[in-house]
Amino acid sequence: MKLLLICICLISFTAVAGNEKNQPSDEKKPTPVALVKKIVKDVKYKESDESDWEIAKTGEPLFDGGLVKTGTKSLALVLFIDGSGLLRVRENSILNIYGDRDGKTLNKNAFLEKGLVGFEVSKQEDEEFKFTTPTMVASIRGTSGALGHEEGEGGDENQCDGISTLILNEGDVDYQTNCGDQGSGSVGGGGFVQIDGDGNINTGDNSNDQEDILNQTSSIDTKILRLQVEEGLLEIEYEPE
Amino acid sequence: MRINIHFSLIFTAAVILVNVNNHAQVSNSIASVEFGAALENNSVQVSAEMLPVTGIAKVQIAYRAFEESEFKINEMELIGNTAYFTIPSEAVKLPAITYYFIVTFTSGEYETYPLGIEQGENIPLELTVLATSPKDKEILILSPSPGELVDIKKLFLTISLIKASDGVDVSKTKIFLNNQDITDKCLFAGDVILFYGENFPDVVSLGQQSLRVELYDSEGKFYHSTISTFTSTKSSTLKLAETRFDYNGSIKAESRNQKFSGVSEWFNNIGIRASSKYEDFAARGYLYVTSEEKKYLQPQNRFSATVEYSDIAKVEGGDIYPVYPDLILSGKRVRGFNGEINSGYFNIQATFGETRRDVEGKLVETYSRETAPLSSNVIEIDSALYGQPYGKVELGTFSRQLFAIRPSFGTGRTFQLGFTYLHSKDDYNSIEFGSKPKENLVVGSDLKFAIDDQRIVFRGQAAVSLNNSDISTGDLTDEQIDSIFTGSGGSSLGDDAESFKDLKKLVSKFITFNQFIGPVNPEKLASAAGEAELQLNYFNNNLRASYIYRGNDYKSFGQDYVRTDVKGINISDRVRLMQNQLFLSLSYEKLLDNLQNTKYATTGYQTINTSVSYFPRTDFPGITVGYTRYDNQNDIEAGSINEAFMVDNYTNRFFTRLNYNFEWGVKHNSILNIATSSRIDDAINGTDAKYTSVSLNLNSYWTRDLSSNLYLITYNSEISAQPFNYTTIALGGRYKLLQDQLNVALNISPSFGDFERLSVELLSEYLVIQNLRLTFQFRYYNYPNISSDSVAGMILRWNF
Repeated sequence: MKLLLICICLISFTAVAGNEKNQPSDEKKPTPVALVKKIVKDVKYKESDESDWEIAKTGEPLFDGGLVKTGTKSLALVLFIDGSGLLRVRENSILNIYGDRDGKTLNKNAFLEKGLVGFEVSKQEDEEFKFTTPTMVASIRGTSGALGHEEGEGGDENQCDGISTLILNEGDVDYQTNCGDQGSGSVGGGGFVQIDGDGNINTGDNSNDQEDILNQTSSIDTKILRLQVEEGLLEIEYEPE
Repeated sequence: MRINIHFSLIFTAAVILVNVNNHAQVSNSIASVEFGAALENNSVQVSAEMLPVTGIAKVQIAYRAFEESEFKINEMELIGNTAYFTIPSEAVKLPAITYYFIVTFTSGEYETYPLGIEQGENIPLELTVLATSPKDKEILILSPSPGELVDIKKLFLTISLIKASDGVDVSKTKIFLNNQDITDKCLFAGDVILFYGENFPDVVSLGQQSLRVELYDSEGKFYHSTISTFTSTKSSTLKLAETRFDYNGSIKAESRNQKFSGVSEWFNNIGIRASSKYEDFAARGYLYVTSEEKKYLQPQNRFSATVEYSDIAKVEGGDIYPVYPDLILSGKRVRGFNGEINSGYFNIQATFGETRRDVEGKLVETYSRETAPLSSNVIEIDSALYGQPYGKVELGTFSRQLFAIRPSFGTGRTFQLGFTYLHSKDDYNSIEFGSKPKENLVVGSDLKFAIDDQRIVFRGQAAVSLNNSDISTGDLTDEQIDSIFTGSGGSSLGDDAESFKDLKKLVSKFITFNQFIGPVNPEKLASAAGEAELQLNYFNNNLRASYIYRGNDYKSFGQDYVRTDVKGINISDRVRLMQNQLFLSLSYEKLLDNLQNTKYATTGYQTINTSVSYFPRTDFPGITVGYTRYDNQNDIEAGSINEAFMVDNYTNRFFTRLNYNFEWGVKHNSILNIATSSRIDDAINGTDAKYTSVSLNLNSYWTRDLSSNLYLITYNSEISAQPFNYTTIALGGRYKLLQDQLNVALNISPSFGDFERLSVELLSEYLVIQNLRLTFQFRYYNYPNISSDSVAGMILRWNF
């Protein structure tokens, strides 16, 4: 079933990304879950785990199971197609996008493998918006903040490796552990929760460093490096530190 | 069929963006009034075009939401012969906004539009407010965002129809960019539609772009549309913008000739607006210079400059309109400076400047001490200079300075507590021939808190004022105080002169302390004002309860239009039913005056407002039916000694409005208004009044380039058994030529009956080059056997 889905996605993507991608067709195509609204420097995407990484372009649609990867000093803005959420995928991050459509509702799940994501999620009515990391599941009800996941020494081999930190600017989030001791709770605006691979939970009010992270992830200010090369002026847009 | 739909959508609008032209109101000063889109909870732009009369000093608009009884009065921005104002979103509630205008002339006289509002001879006008369509939420334009600046090379459009109704056939959706159908260039990926500009470079142009999305049902019938605008620009320009520097502006120059009652006069003005942005800094500037600026009038020229840093800090100078709690300072022009710092936890705002400039009076006649008559315009003058100690003068105006400061805590989203201090004083030395310079001091506090995602909102404010009606003699001296307390039995102030001196010492630090300071009865809260409001938004109800109290002596120089000597409650509820298709509104208000027993009797003012609005999604007219009853009474009886002050009247008012878009050959949109009102006044000098008006407005869109409008109103009134009836027909059209470079419009509007007038308006607008427009306008008004007036002018407008 999953393979079939992947095939459909691939076929759809081929139609989207191909030379005739703007030609409408009678064939009913699947609906993307999100799109890449802005790209700075090095952003790649793939249709699913089984696909290869490809260079993403502005406006790239992301289907259920799609992944986005950012390189050093890079940034991707990901927008969900129900207009419910905007994610700022910061440098050196990998984010998986999942969407489960049920009639007019779209249940979303953004799985952060590693890196840092700033988010603004509008109030969810009957829909679900989840952030997951290897160690945490967070249900969003309408909030803004940042989610980061640092890989541990075990690397990709250990599913419960690393430590995740959710920093909230406003709103409320229910969280639960994904590994180790089962635990859950909620955190409000101005607070954070940190969960490691053993299921240890640490919560509290945001520190100054965490507020800095919020400020950093809530902006998309970029810098442009201009180089005069033989072919003309080369401009490289990148995310400043 | 396609074309018809096309036009229906261009003028969608039309219904929503109907420009309401009140061609038919009798007025000596206002020719017509136009409104922008009147959508619930959205601000509305108003412009009032003046008749070719001279000597208009200022134009004000008085407006209120349907369920309220108190009008808010704000000064409009007078540019050339048009006055502009934006009604804030809070006042735009279903089913209508009630409004009228106040035009003040340089002579100090004023009139309302419609005429006779304050005399009860006419009633205010109403602007129908429409509900936003729930269908709007079915079309999500994800990219570009409204107003976004995008790189033309990287432009992509993303439209999500994931929320569209089941009846919508997504595959039949049409996409238009600048009215060009680009549907066949879009990719339909399920319920998402994508368009990549790089594949079709010829389709996308630089500048402002209009994106229109049309939805159709499975039978191919039009379902809904939405329009969004954005700006495409070159990479280099965008890079400049992304390095956070951006600028734009406009220059508008006008020259016009007005012929009024046989007198011809030229007016010239130029207005320059500019704004720029650099990273989080934004700056705006405005300069308006007019030939109507005269040193013997209050300023007609305007200038201002504003610098903002994000939402955190703002400094503005020039002609500014600072907003404080509206009991204290609101809608007042101040020529000076305003600064704000908003950190969220702690915020502060301060304003300093001049609200009136000095205008020198004129000496008419001199008198000796013995012959000087007792009159308000006979004042002491410099006998060394004028030979006599007293003179009869045309009184001038003192310049008036104002200072206000408001520290506050909280962002205002969920909580804010503020404290306001305002001090305003006439400059006694600013003119020679003036009388009774005044001074005013107000302190107040305001509180807002909101919980449960703004479903429960509480707002409150309170203020106390001190007012001195004549500061020309300065503070009382200790000797003067002693003289008051000297003598047998002391004075009405008691017999403790020292305490009184201490009081003077304290109060005079803030306001001139003399015999003219008020209120005289502070213990009765005569100069106190307060209001509290609780809003509950649950189960599609918007329930509101408020209480107001305004002492009869409350006065703020920062707010000229607070109704005083009144207290009471207002309860209202608005209910949304049938998925926002049916709206019920009900409000009850009970107010009482005579709070400090300064009148012969206490009058009660009771108002009941009800309305039902139905805006169906099907092909059926939108209907609003409303009823209002005013009951005003006091307990003075006919035949009593105070019968002249008797109040005993009631008014019943019914209205019906229908708006309907239909297709009959071509697309039309129509609005029918029927209103009737009857006032019975049983007071001794009471005035019975009744009126009925029926109006029809029909806009028709014949081709892409040609549209027409028909307006018909018949008005019948009877005030004190004196009938006044007239009918007005307005017929006009607009035609686009030269590939939209030239727009021509002609309107002819005769009025018959007790009000006779022929109005002709010709307007042409030519796009000379991109961003440069030349407009010619000519208006002619003929009043049979009275006069023929006209306005002819040219306007050059350049946007950069």
